[in-house]
Amino acid sequence: MTELKVVGKRVERVDVRAKVTGGALYAADVQLAGMLYGKIVRCYDYAHARVTSLDLSEAAKCKGVIKVLGPKDVTQKEYNASVLDMMVSADMRGVLGDIDDQSIFTDHVKHYGDAIAAVIAISEEAAERAAEKIKVTYEELPVYMTAEAAKQADALQFRPEKPGNLAFQLPEMAFPDNAYAWGEVDKSFDEADIIVEDTFYVPKQKQCQMEPGSYIALYDDQERLNCWTSTQMPKLVQKKLANLFELPMTRVRINATVIGGGFGARLGMVLEPETCALAMAVPGRPVKVLSTREEDWVTSPSRHPGKYWMKMGFKKDGTPVACDAKFENYKGAYYVDASGTAFTTGAWLGGMYKFDSLRYRGESYYTNQSICGAFRGYGNPQTNFVMEQMIDRGCAELGVDPIEWRKKWHKGVGDDGWCIGVPYNSCALDECLDRAAEAANWTEKREKYKNQTGTKRRGIGVAVMNHTSGAMPMLLEHTVCDALLHQDATVTLNLACSDMGQGSHTTLRQVAAETLDFAYEDIHIATGNTDAAGFDIGAHASRTLYVGGGAVKQACEDVRRQLFERAALELEEDVDNLYMEDKIIHVKGSSNKSISVQTIADQGVNNFMNPETGELIGQPGQIQGYASFFPPHNAPPFGTTIAEVEVDMETGEVKVLELVNAHDVGRAIHPGVVEGQLDGGAQQGLGMALTEETYYDDKGICQNNSFTDYKMFGPSDMPKMTNILVENPDPTGPFGAKGVGEAGLVPPVGATANAIFNAIGIQILEAPITPEKILKALEDAND
Amino acid sequence: MTSRVMRDFDLLLPESVPEVLELLADHKDNCAILSGGTDLLVALKFDYAVDNVVSLALVPGLDDLSFDPDQGLSIGAKVTIADIVKSQDVKTYYPALWQAAKVFATPQLRNTATVLGNIMRASPAGDCSLALYALGGDLQLKNASGVRDVSLDDFWLSYGVTARQSDELAISLRVPPPTAGQKSAFQRMTRTTEDLSKINAAVSLTMADGVCQSARVAMGCVGPTLIRLPKVEAMLGGAEITEDLLGEVSDMVAAEITPIDDIRSSADYRRKVAGILVRRVINLALTEGNNQ
Repeated sequence: MTELKVVGKRVERVDVRAKVTGGALYAADVQLAGMLYGKIVRCYDYAHARVTSLDLSEAAKCKGVIKVLGPKDVTQKEYNASVLDMMVSADMRGVLGDIDDQSIFTDHVKHYGDAIAAVIAISEEAAERAAEKIKVTYEELPVYMTAEAAKQADALQFRPEKPGNLAFQLPEMAFPDNAYAWGEVDKSFDEADIIVEDTFYVPKQKQCQMEPGSYIALYDDQERLNCWTSTQMPKLVQKKLANLFELPMTRVRINATVIGGGFGARLGMVLEPETCALAMAVPGRPVKVLSTREEDWVTSPSRHPGKYWMKMGFKKDGTPVACDAKFENYKGAYYVDASGTAFTTGAWLGGMYKFDSLRYRGESYYTNQSICGAFRGYGNPQTNFVMEQMIDRGCAELGVDPIEWRKKWHKGVGDDGWCIGVPYNSCALDECLDRAAEAANWTEKREKYKNQTGTKRRGIGVAVMNHTSGAMPMLLEHTVCDALLHQDATVTLNLACSDMGQGSHTTLRQVAAETLDFAYEDIHIATGNTDAAGFDIGAHASRTLYVGGGAVKQACEDVRRQLFERAALELEEDVDNLYMEDKIIHVKGSSNKSISVQTIADQGVNNFMNPETGELIGQPGQIQGYASFFPPHNAPPFGTTIAEVEVDMETGEVKVLELVNAHDVGRAIHPGVVEGQLDGGAQQGLGMALTEETYYDDKGICQNNSFTDYKMFGPSDMPKMTNILVENPDPTGPFGAKGVGEAGLVPPVGATANAIFNAIGIQILEAPITPEKILKALEDAND
Repeated sequence: MTSRVMRDFDLLLPESVPEVLELLADHKDNCAILSGGTDLLVALKFDYAVDNVVSLALVPGLDDLSFDPDQGLSIGAKVTIADIVKSQDVKTYYPALWQAAKVFATPQLRNTATVLGNIMRASPAGDCSLALYALGGDLQLKNASGVRDVSLDDFWLSYGVTARQSDELAISLRVPPPTAGQKSAFQRMTRTTEDLSKINAAVSLTMADGVCQSARVAMGCVGPTLIRLPKVEAMLGGAEITEDLLGEVSDMVAAEITPIDDIRSSADYRRKVAGILVRRVINLALTEGNNQ
């Protein structure tokens, strides 16, 4: 490859100035003339109840109130806030059993915070005060907080079409025996010399994005529905709203505002349906709905919690012969993403090691928890916590070094990837492990930490992971990009890809500049308007650079092709005989035959006639590149983390001393952006391993839907951290890039658990691994 | 559930202590005092309703933090936690208080929250309150008819309830001067670094020739209020502090506390680690708690 000029450079991020100065316009900042405010009335007294009466009359009389809306005052159509159903064919939707089971307002409360009614008023204050006057009475119903409770024979059924409250299991039609599997697992276990088995619990972790849900909707005088939202997926939300309100897509416009963090919490719809329903009730007036943090917590999706059973068999020489696993997740009150995570959790498991046979079952059960959905990693952190601890238990029984074992048995190029039948096309995990081991002093410390006796004991642990760049081939992957060449030889890209803070607009711009051989400053990315932009799935599955970048590259290649074709006409040469340097197209071997991009671009737009000859000067037509891009693969990122911890044997407290993350990123289009993703991912991974969990009392009332009592790792908790970027260009990624948005979160989860195992010799089966659990485990071990 | 909108109230802005006292006398229980506001403003967005908020913002003379070797430390009503952290006198003579202030909440909250506000909140978890409890001190409570001194030992009555009458303003806290051989320390356990304590302990020991003359041992998050551990104090008083004695002290702690299960930890865990924490804070006082 020729020398890269923009790719690989730490250019200034497109969003950094606005965010640092406070200039970034978030949805909550948007003020429109005549704006009204909506307050949604939610049930905070019960997690499961039937509304027996709803009296809106007092609220309607309050000062400043425009309208009060109950369930019957808005569309009765049911919907599914997730967008997964739009990424598979209609046939597949049927096979998966996706259903629409949410409504704008409900008379059957299924979780703490379910929406009952709403007030529209002239101010937020008036709306809140009136909302307090809405009188609701309830009939309390039994709550089912776990899969175990929900599947009991006498449990109330959440949906008639989902008997046993089993929202989803891998369907027999696509997954024989309801399992994602290869080989004959039961037989393989007969060949095992060592078998390890246990049941784990993975927690209900929350994304904790900084911006709580903020929305504006306006049903305007052209009868168009406009919605301002910081969704990760403008085009799919546009279509979802069009379906819900039965409008053509031309009458629904998403104004995608600056995203204050997503991490999956804005994947699909959150409060767009409610806000739009309010706006439809007051045509011509914009309605703003702002969530409190506590409200955002229980209305946007979380990571899927649940019980995760796993059994592994090994031969004495370390050969992994069989892996059997089952993840029963506590889905929450509605169907959203019931199928996705239940599948991918097993996909990541299947994509990691060369077991002779493997069988994974995933089941999602309705519960009276708030909904689960997408969260950075999408099932991978859960699998990492369980799989990597089981591997280390196996290694301990085998007496082999965990890194050596992983190097020998991880999947690589040519092996089936996370999707059976789609082999990995690149993998630099060995180099990641070697470089991480060296940077972390693995061998020396592993030796040193044997046989410790003091109060403070150290441990060092490793975990690896595979992930994906986009969800192909399981889900649709498609991005449309236009690249418009202006008459001054700069380019505006028009596409719907979101930048939720991960830096994608910066890296997409770099890809464009590199492809065109233009300067970074010559490129602008226009996004945020679904009226103008073509299709894009949205930001999920670490896809934006890989798929969006593929589209950008193809559209820019189209511009370049057109430039060369016009230059060839003007210079009367073959295209093959031309080359470009500093935005001037030259004829090879000829020092004086050339034409500038500027001239071609200008003549394309300002195409005048030569008054003397009567002929047009240059080639007419503004050049526009176009791509409707479907990626050929999913460029798998791999990565490893080595974690070092110190455990206080008297209190069970864990201090994370160091993380070394080494990731196969294909190519770092912007190394700073990649490092930022790994840093931020590690922060969430450590939180899942050690401190983060949303939990409920026995009535299903959420106990910690705020930052006071839900504890994330803050800056002062973070350990010393080293990020190693292993660049092994993927054959299908733009300039070899792979997605890195989620990868950084995953291996710190398993590595931290394994470091604790190394320090105290006991595995803690429930995340987060709190001091309380460690101390109890130490006591139990002494009994 | 929180709201984005605070309850309606009248914000009263007196400009002198007598004016404050007049307002307090007028409004009694229907009135909250606003200084740092880090607890009050959150409560006002929750379920706390009060019609009047008396702000100390414009009242002069309440921000005095002064130390005198004979008089001790005086902490005015508007002295912030950050003021304590910045004070070399506190760091030198009252290590327990300085250590508590150093880890209290976050930098932003330390810049705003006041020491006396922490005491008035009467939380069983208050870090600075706990350190001051171990060090001992008298609050000056003033109303229109005069001033009375109330020892911290008698101030916290139950969860969130204090000996302050509704017409009284806490003007300042006086902490006794350091004595020869006095050593103090504060230590806590939290879920993450920047957090409310899930259990905390503070001690003040007066040592002479290796023997503990007297001890004040206080703990938080193990009862409805901050508590002292009289049996532990009695064990330490007059004794040479050996590892064996600390083992006995550690065992005794569990008998003096009544922790509960809550969001931050469990009663069981608190019982298990309380003795260890007390042993550690005593060791910390002996090694690093010199008041000079």
